[in-house]
Amino acid sequence: MRDPHTPMIEVEALELRYGSVAAVNGVSFAADKGELVTLLGPSGCGKTSTLRAIAGLEEPSGGRISLGGTVVYSAAERRNVASERRGVSMVFQSYAIWPHMNVFDNVAYGLRVRRLPRAEVEQQVMRALALVQMQDYATRSAVRLSGGQQQRVAVARAIAFSPEVVLFDEPLSNLDAKLRAEMRVELRELQRRLSFTSIYVTHDQEEALAISDRVIVMNEGRIEQVGAPRELYNRPQNRFVADFLGAANIIPGRVRGGATANGEAMFETAGGHMIRVRAGGPLRGDEDAAAVRASYIHLAAKAPPDAANVAVGLIERRHFHGDFIEYRVRWPAGQLIVRTPPTGVLEEGQEIALWFEAEHCALLEPARRSAPTSSPRRR
Amino acid sequence: MKYFVTPAVLLLCGTLVLYPLFFVVTQSFNVGDPETFPPAAYGLDNYLNLPDDARILGNTAFVALLATAMAVLFGFILAWILTRTLIPGRGVLERLLELPYYMTPLVGALAWGVILGPKTGLANQLGQHFFGHDLADIYSPYGIAWVMALFEGTVAFVMIAAAMKSMDPSLEEGARVLGAGKLKIALTVTLPMVMPGVISATIFVFAEMLGSFAAAFVLGIPGRFYVVTTAIWEATFSYPPDYGRAAALGLSLFIAMLAMLGLSRLILRRGSYATITGKAFRPRALGVGWLRWPLLAFCWGYVALSVALPLAALLLTSFQRFATAILPQSIFTLANYRNALQMGALGSALANSLVLGLAVATIAVPLASILVWIIYRTKARGGRFIEGVVMIPQAVPRMVFGLGLLWAWLSIPIPIYGTLWLLGIAYLTVLMPLGVRTLAGVVLQVDRGLEECARVCGASWLYQMRSVTLPLLRPGMAAAWLLIFIAGVRELGVSLFLMGPNAKVIAPSIVNSWLSSSSELSAAMALLQTLTIFVAVAVLFAAVRSVASGALGGDEPI
Repeated sequence: MRDPHTPMIEVEALELRYGSVAAVNGVSFAADKGELVTLLGPSGCGKTSTLRAIAGLEEPSGGRISLGGTVVYSAAERRNVASERRGVSMVFQSYAIWPHMNVFDNVAYGLRVRRLPRAEVEQQVMRALALVQMQDYATRSAVRLSGGQQQRVAVARAIAFSPEVVLFDEPLSNLDAKLRAEMRVELRELQRRLSFTSIYVTHDQEEALAISDRVIVMNEGRIEQVGAPRELYNRPQNRFVADFLGAANIIPGRVRGGATANGEAMFETAGGHMIRVRAGGPLRGDEDAAAVRASYIHLAAKAPPDAANVAVGLIERRHFHGDFIEYRVRWPAGQLIVRTPPTGVLEEGQEIALWFEAEHCALLEPARRSAPTSSPRRR
Repeated sequence: MKYFVTPAVLLLCGTLVLYPLFFVVTQSFNVGDPETFPPAAYGLDNYLNLPDDARILGNTAFVALLATAMAVLFGFILAWILTRTLIPGRGVLERLLELPYYMTPLVGALAWGVILGPKTGLANQLGQHFFGHDLADIYSPYGIAWVMALFEGTVAFVMIAAAMKSMDPSLEEGARVLGAGKLKIALTVTLPMVMPGVISATIFVFAEMLGSFAAAFVLGIPGRFYVVTTAIWEATFSYPPDYGRAAALGLSLFIAMLAMLGLSRLILRRGSYATITGKAFRPRALGVGWLRWPLLAFCWGYVALSVALPLAALLLTSFQRFATAILPQSIFTLANYRNALQMGALGSALANSLVLGLAVATIAVPLASILVWIIYRTKARGGRFIEGVVMIPQAVPRMVFGLGLLWAWLSIPIPIYGTLWLLGIAYLTVLMPLGVRTLAGVVLQVDRGLEECARVCGASWLYQMRSVTLPLLRPGMAAAWLLIFIAGVRELGVSLFLMGPNAKVIAPSIVNSWLSSSSELSAAMALLQTLTIFVAVAVLFAAVRSVASGALGGDEPI
């Protein structure tokens, strides 16, 4: 038996180059047994390359990859185990359903490769198809399936031979929004039920937050931040993460004084307005931005007496989005985007009080390199 | 294995392709005795003498330009009618327009010789009978250009139709919404979008016409009208042979064609704004009202002139003792067919061609599959270079390649000159680009994920190839097989030089029969070749369809 403390997947200092371009540049992380870890980032951030390196479909140029305690790639030992010997499974973005086979044969592939007896193949295929509610389609030609059905078959094929590790490469990106939302709940259910370990690649932050035990935010071949979904959402460490996940207001300025005992600090915005913010750890002194989520800002005619970070705001624009209303509010430090439930509508031109908890306003690390920040990303 | 395969393939392809070319280049600088090799003396004389052939170069340019102009005009009109207008029977017409390609320019030239040959041509006999003079003389530069346009111009139609099909109709709709009328749209949107495709097709066809042999041979030799290709033939087969002149002419032709093909590619790549989006469009077809009758007449007229009339003329002639259009005077006979099939040589020539076609296609397809796989699917170094080397024969005029092969294999102490083996090797070399191009199209369409998924599922490379890659490539391989087979059976340019007395093939045999015997016998032979190709195409199309549907359909578990 394996040492229970050995992570199921361990990636250390992974590097991967395409010619002179470093797609992955020193990425390290681990996933424990039964964990679903998501690699999240914009296209070209190296998430898919990392996943393909774990599957053995790309040859890295440096680092180490272990699966269940066995080294499958090591630059130092010049070892690179072939994809088919790694025992992992994968769901491809394009589904990769073989058009010349029917549903049953597609799902049975991994079992037949392993030379399982016919009866067992049949039993495992039907089990896998039942898990994705496709048991009635076993004899259907693969080309006569809808996108959603192909997706289910791809998942069934990936889990049919009971792999311990299943890799997902943007599996839902070709489905329409509604189906995507349904499928991600199903995938998560399936992963919990069968308790396989998963690395899940996506560029959809909502999907990442909804499905994962932990999310790894990647950018330009490096890891920006690792954490549970709520932690990442509430406490982004830097501009990139704050900007990429959810709708955040980045407030430029500088810290004043040191951190207080309760982990807060005073922050002077560009306009000279002072607010209280949450300091992640010891202050460095050169922090130059703080972030507050659009949905954590309160708007009302009058702020309650115990509110923190109260300011006067002017509603400049109102956009109705259905599930929420988005306001553009002028405040002493510039402009804020604020999202409120679609009840209690405020008028454009109305002057209001706005406030937010110091806990919800995260002090960001200074830019490590020239981070590409822009106006708040909206979803 | 990776380190071994690429150099090995490169060596093999390099030998097959570059070795013969090396001989052409050397021979073109040979100013000593043309029949000794390596040359006794080197010099530029062969090139310096080219201006003496100015007449021939001029002839070539004139015929090629005229043929290109006609081919592009026909191709443009046909492509426009068939892709952008709603005329009845488009599917059938599209099928029929492929037929001139299968007929080959040689058969076409023979047929038109039978129709419009001076005095003896069937149509001219009618002209003599009714008007007292010939209707037209096909044994002229205009006749050559006409036949070349009809039978080698099909490619213009295919290329222009592709450009027209791939145009996003929303580009035109955009102009319409902005208020432009039909004519305005045609001039400001449609034409500029299609133009790069048309120009590229024009240059491509021109290059093909420069290297064309059959029509200029059949219709030019009687009137001693020479173009470069027929001059090469004459320089090689006259006595004493002037190999140096042939080689210098050949290389000049090669360089001109290469430049043209390069230019054609460049224009297509630079200028094709509309064509590369990866989306499938359904071009909006125009209702053309009363205009559809003249358009239909044009299409069917084209089919009549390029397929029906030539075949009918050959058929009539082949059953007559003396070709005549005045039926009451004709003496019908089966003797021509009896002769064609019994004349030991021809019967075996047809059989040889079929055997060669089968064998070469069967060897070339797996070979081309492996090449394509190396070029596009492995990260082996030099993949692009291999592709470049393999594709060279496409740009070399067949005649020139045939010359190179002739000299190359004559100078090797392996006694395969004059045998089917050499013809087989030659076919393999010159037809490989066809196979590689066809299969590349298929391989590039197969999503890489399909193969990767098999590996991740635990399949070894061999298992993956057997269970996923090969089954997916099967329809494409069948198509490539068919194309190579047809091209092999109709091959003329290379065979002309490499055919031996005991290893005859059909197309050069028809040429020889036409040179030495009656047109009635040649007609019978031409029809036999055409029939063979038609039957093969029909049989194989059916086979391909069943293979393809086997790969994509079938609800029952295997």
